[in-house]
Amino acid sequence: MAPGKNGQGLPTLVWFSLALLVTWLILPLLPLAVWSVSRSWYFPDLLPSAYSARAWTYVFSPTSDILPALGRTALIALGATFLSALVGLPAGRALGLYQFRGKAIVELLILAPTIVPGIAVALGLHVVFLKLGLAGTAGGVVIVHLIPTLPYMVLVMAGIFSNYNPDAEAQARSLGAGYFQTFYYVTLPAILPGLLIGSLFAFLVSWSQYILTLLIGSGRVVTLPLLLFNFASAGRNDITGAISIIYILPGILLLFLGARHLTGRNRTLENLKQI
Amino acid sequence: MPRYPLIKSVLPHVIAVVIAAISMIFAQTAISAEKAYKNWDDVVSAAEGGTVNWFMWGGADNINSYVSDFVGSELKKRYGITLNRIGINDTAEAVNLVLGEKQAGNHENGSVDLIWINGGNFRSMKQGELLYCGYQNLLPNNRQVNWQDQSIANDFGLAVDGCEVPWNRAQFAFAYDSARTKNPPQSIPELIDWVKAHPGEFTYPAATDFNGSVFIRHVFYHAAGGVDALLGEFDQQKFDAVAPKAWAILNEMEPYLWREGKTYPNAIANLAQLFANREVALYFDYDPAIFGINVENGIFPESTRSYGLKDGTIGNTNYVAIPYNSPNKAAAMVTANFLLSFDAQFEKAKASIWGAAPAIDVSRLSDAQQAQFAGLPRNPAVVAPEALAKNALPELHPAWIDAIEKGWQENVAK
Repeated sequence: MAPGKNGQGLPTLVWFSLALLVTWLILPLLPLAVWSVSRSWYFPDLLPSAYSARAWTYVFSPTSDILPALGRTALIALGATFLSALVGLPAGRALGLYQFRGKAIVELLILAPTIVPGIAVALGLHVVFLKLGLAGTAGGVVIVHLIPTLPYMVLVMAGIFSNYNPDAEAQARSLGAGYFQTFYYVTLPAILPGLLIGSLFAFLVSWSQYILTLLIGSGRVVTLPLLLFNFASAGRNDITGAISIIYILPGILLLFLGARHLTGRNRTLENLKQI
Repeated sequence: MPRYPLIKSVLPHVIAVVIAAISMIFAQTAISAEKAYKNWDDVVSAAEGGTVNWFMWGGADNINSYVSDFVGSELKKRYGITLNRIGINDTAEAVNLVLGEKQAGNHENGSVDLIWINGGNFRSMKQGELLYCGYQNLLPNNRQVNWQDQSIANDFGLAVDGCEVPWNRAQFAFAYDSARTKNPPQSIPELIDWVKAHPGEFTYPAATDFNGSVFIRHVFYHAAGGVDALLGEFDQQKFDAVAPKAWAILNEMEPYLWREGKTYPNAIANLAQLFANREVALYFDYDPAIFGINVENGIFPESTRSYGLKDGTIGNTNYVAIPYNSPNKAAAMVTANFLLSFDAQFEKAKASIWGAAPAIDVSRLSDAQQAQFAGLPRNPAVVAPEALAKNALPELHPAWIDAIEKGWQENVAK
């Protein structure tokens, strides 16, 4: 077998899967873009019979509250991501590195929020949050978003730590690095790809919360999904399309920003030299 | 020690009595605070600088704009009130919010000040004692409301009892594309024949949808030989006598429906899409203003026309209500009063704004104001409210509606 043939076969496959991925990801979004500028679009026409900028005018008007909601949603998602990293990193480390009694039950409990429907939990939680004075506040919404985001963060981190060798930390410590230096130069580079993936999941899960935000936020914390669902359920495809495009932008942005860092493995040894 | 058990058994009772007494004092002050408004001026001065969190269905940009832009800026200008419109998907979400607050003991500082409401949600709130009641006589614009009209004094068969303030009226109507359909059916019996003659061109949303449910009720009224037998409290015997006939009619229609009735649209928005796509020939809605809005929005063709039925269509009133734990009751009352004003009712009656039928009795207005209402241009797609009102049918008690919806699921949808 000629080595060139092998080299040719792989790119074809890569190109094919890339094309498939693009079709899968981008193509369903096209109608949204067309809807957002359409005025009337009837089946079975391939294109709208009339166009209008009305949906975008509404989206950018102060009445719609879309742009402030975009900022609010982003801050809440960032807050929820940060907090779940803070909690999820040590939890993932414990689950990935150590064996202990009842580990299976802990793992099951962490997974539970992804299995139990949100609405069932939300109504009970609302009462608790009201008593704590957290209902109707952005802080309360950030905290309640930890319920769906934490499982993703903890499980990704547990996976990363199960392939992690803590001996490198011991090496660094023996060379005189402090706790913080060890974490920053040794642990963090090794787990960074996982941390980014976990954060990406956490951000997107928080970004798409509806019922938890509505109930715990008492309607006072208005995020993009709340506004989007209003119009989606009312059949306003033009405004739904326009909001949807704004809604998916941060996800795409994060994916591209994160993608560069996702392959950052084997930098641990390099960083060891810096100590 | 005989004294210890005595103290042990008495002490909890003492504590309970003290707690009950304290809570009664608080309850007393709460009631007297609400009665503190001697007259309208008291309310207006208490309302100044207040904020009203108004929870309402947020799926129509024109209604959102009317509320945020017109009502919001007028309230700010006239009374210094900040209106905060909170769009929700389903009114039940706001009801659950107030219910949760009550369970948590948040009786004074609720998050909802005003809800756009009627029907089953009003029943839930009234029966759960979640509403602030008895203030309507304070509102100056209340005299423009005809409370003698049973369709205003009763919300889906349940007495309003001063627990909500009317905002709009709506009456069910059919719409069709006059360019495509020449003779749409004019009554429920005609519709039944028409559906059989035009297979695949009609369908209705499932009973879980508000509009699907009201369509089914029209068939139910027809099966009962008129609505009179069905009014009042739910009666299982009457229901059992009528229901099999109604299910038989709907089941007979089923094979002639869109997709042979194998599936029903799950929401009115889907029926609107089917009508817009020319897959079905008829559309209907509880609020005829929507026909004009959909034409304006380019969803329905310009040749859309609408009409009521010869045997009548069901009408309702929708209201705004103030939860019992609203911290801004005065500002909410001022808002409710402003919504009843000529200015607010006239503005939303304009076809370009919303086209909603007024909840006030136009004949109680000044001659000049009446002339303004009479001179309103109407979207040709929207049937004249006066023409519809000639054959108006009342709504049923929510218990009847629940039974019909459940029966449809069990006997027709299966």
